[in-house]
Amino acid sequence: MILIGESINIMSKTLGPALRERNPKPIQEMALAEVKAGVDYLDLNIGPARRAGDELMKWVVETVQAVTDMPLSLDTTNPVAMEAGLKVCKSRALINSVSLQPDRLQAGLPLAKNYNADMIGLLWGAEGMPRDANERCMLAVELVYQANDMGIPTENIWIDPIASPISVEINQVKSCVEFMSMLAEVAPGCKSTVGLSNISNGTPTHLRPYLNRTYLIMLMRYGLHSAIVDAFDAELNAIARGKMPEVVKLVHRVMDGEQIDIKSLSKKEAEYVKTARVLTGETLYSHSWLEI
Amino acid sequence: MPVEIPKIAYSGKVKEVTLGKGGKTVTVGGETSYPFYLFEGAMTNKPKIAMEVWDCPPEDWAAAALEPFAGVTGDPVAWAKKCINDYGAEMIALELISTDPNGLNRPAAEAAAVVKKVSDAIDVPLIVWGTANHEKDTEVLRLVAELCQDKRLILGPVEEGDHKRIGAASLAYHHTVIASTPIDINLAKQLNILLGNLGVPDDLLVMDPTVSGIGYGIEYCYSVMERMRMAGLTQQDEKLQFPIICNISKETWKTKEAKSPTGEVPELGEARKRGILLEAMSSVALLMAGADVLIMRHPEAIKLVREMIADLTAS
Repeated sequence: MILIGESINIMSKTLGPALRERNPKPIQEMALAEVKAGVDYLDLNIGPARRAGDELMKWVVETVQAVTDMPLSLDTTNPVAMEAGLKVCKSRALINSVSLQPDRLQAGLPLAKNYNADMIGLLWGAEGMPRDANERCMLAVELVYQANDMGIPTENIWIDPIASPISVEINQVKSCVEFMSMLAEVAPGCKSTVGLSNISNGTPTHLRPYLNRTYLIMLMRYGLHSAIVDAFDAELNAIARGKMPEVVKLVHRVMDGEQIDIKSLSKKEAEYVKTARVLTGETLYSHSWLEI
Repeated sequence: MPVEIPKIAYSGKVKEVTLGKGGKTVTVGGETSYPFYLFEGAMTNKPKIAMEVWDCPPEDWAAAALEPFAGVTGDPVAWAKKCINDYGAEMIALELISTDPNGLNRPAAEAAAVVKKVSDAIDVPLIVWGTANHEKDTEVLRLVAELCQDKRLILGPVEEGDHKRIGAASLAYHHTVIASTPIDINLAKQLNILLGNLGVPDDLLVMDPTVSGIGYGIEYCYSVMERMRMAGLTQQDEKLQFPIICNISKETWKTKEAKSPTGEVPELGEARKRGILLEAMSSVALLMAGADVLIMRHPEAIKLVREMIADLTAS
C-alpha cells in the first residue's frame, strides 16, 4: 500500500501563503514531518495555478527536493505547471492527474509519455462525475485505451475512482467501492489510488479519521494500490501497513452483511462497526453516527 | 407461468403523533408502507391538511388567494374561524409573518398575545410557524410556548441553530416540535437525534424537510422525502420514522406563475385556475412522497387534494 501525504496544499491556511510568498521553510518542515510520519510519496498541490503556475511548481519541487528525496506527486490542473515540475523532478514522478475531459487528456498523456512518469487517471468524464460503478468502468477502460494508444503502459496508470463525501450522496460512496471490486477485471494490470479524505468532507473535523480509516479498509479489500491521505493519522498508517488485522476483519464482516452485536465489542471495535455501517449504506449517515 | 408481483419487505413503521389537545385532536403517522401502497401495508391515519392563517394582512397575495378570505384577513381569529366553519379546516397553521425582523418586526409579546387569542378561540390543533430567523424565533416561540402552556401547540420551524432553546421551551410547556432541515436527509436525521438527546419524546416530534413547489425544485424535495420513508420503513432507521409536515402553500403562491394576473401572461392561462392547480398539484406530489401534514391556502386546492386522498385510500 502506497501512501501519498496530502498536506502540502495551496488550500492550507498556513502552507497556502507560504507557497504564494515562496517561503521555503514551512513547506520543507511539512515535507519532513510527512516523511517522518511514514508516507511513501508527497503530493504537491498547487491547485489550478493560472498565474505563473510553471514557476510555482518548479519552485516547490526544488524546495522539497532540497530536504528529501521522497518521490513526488505533482498536483495541478495546469499542464504548463505540470511540465515545469516534471522537468526538475529527480525521481520518477506521479502526475496528479489526467482525466477524460478532452483538454486535460490531450495535455496530460504526452507529459506522462515524454517524462516517463506515472499518472493518476481520474475518472472524471467529459460529462462530469460518473454516476455509478458501471460508468466508472466505462471511463476506466476508455482512459487506459487512450493512454495505451499513446504508448503509456497500463502499469503506469493509477486509476482514481473518486471518493465523494458521505454527507452528500451515499450511492456514490458505495459505487466507488463497487468499482474497486471490478477494476482488476475491466483493466487488468492497472494500479489505483483515491483521495481518501474526501469521504469525510463536510463531517465534524474530530470525527473525520473514523470515516477515512474505515473507508480505506473497505477499498483495500479490493486491492487499492495507494491513497492520498492525512499523513499524520497514525492509526490509518497502521491499517495501511497491515498492522490492524482484527478491525479489518470486523469491517469485512459488516461489508458481508453480517449482523454484529455491538454490545459484545470494545469501544474501538464498535466505532469501526458503526462507521462501516454508514459507509456501506446499511445505516443512514448523521453527524452523531458514533453515538447511536 | 403465474406472475409473481414483487413486494417490498417493510421492517419499520412511521410513529404516530397526536397533534393538539382536547376534543378535536388529529393523529398522523402510523404508516406501515410507502404512501398509498395500501396493497402492501396500512395507512392508519390519512394525511391531514392545515389551513394557513397569517397574523397580519397579506400585502402581495394573488387576488384568487385573497378572495375566499375577504373580510377576515385583518383578524387572525376571524380568519381561523372562517377556515374551520366555512372550509372545514381540521387544523390551523398560524404564520407569524409580522415578526420578521426584515419586515414589520413586531415584538414577541404582541405576537404571542395574538397566538394566545387564536388558540383560545379554536378547538382544532394549532400550528405556529415562525420566520426561520433563529434569534427572533427563539424569542417569539419561547414566549408563545409559555403563554399557551398545555395547549399542545405545534411549534416550528425548529432548526439546528435554535433547537436547544425552542426545544427546551416546548418540552417545558408540553408542545409538539417541528424539526426543520434544509432538504438534506442526513441533517434531518441529525436534528432528530439532537432533539431526542435534548429530551423531546418521539410522540412530540414531526419533521419538516423544507419543500418547494412545482417548477422550483420539488423533485429534490420529493427525492429527500422518499429516501426518508425508505430509511424509516425498510432500514429500521428509528430517527427518520416521524410524520412529515410540508409547508407548501407559501411556496406555490409566491411564484410568479401563481401570482401574475391573467392579463399579464395570457399564455399561462387563467390566473385563478393556475394558482389553485399549482398548489393542489404540488401538494399531491408531496403526498406521494410521504407527507403526513400539508399546510395549504386555497379552499378549492384543498378540496381537490382531499378528493385525491379519499380516492387513493378508498377500499
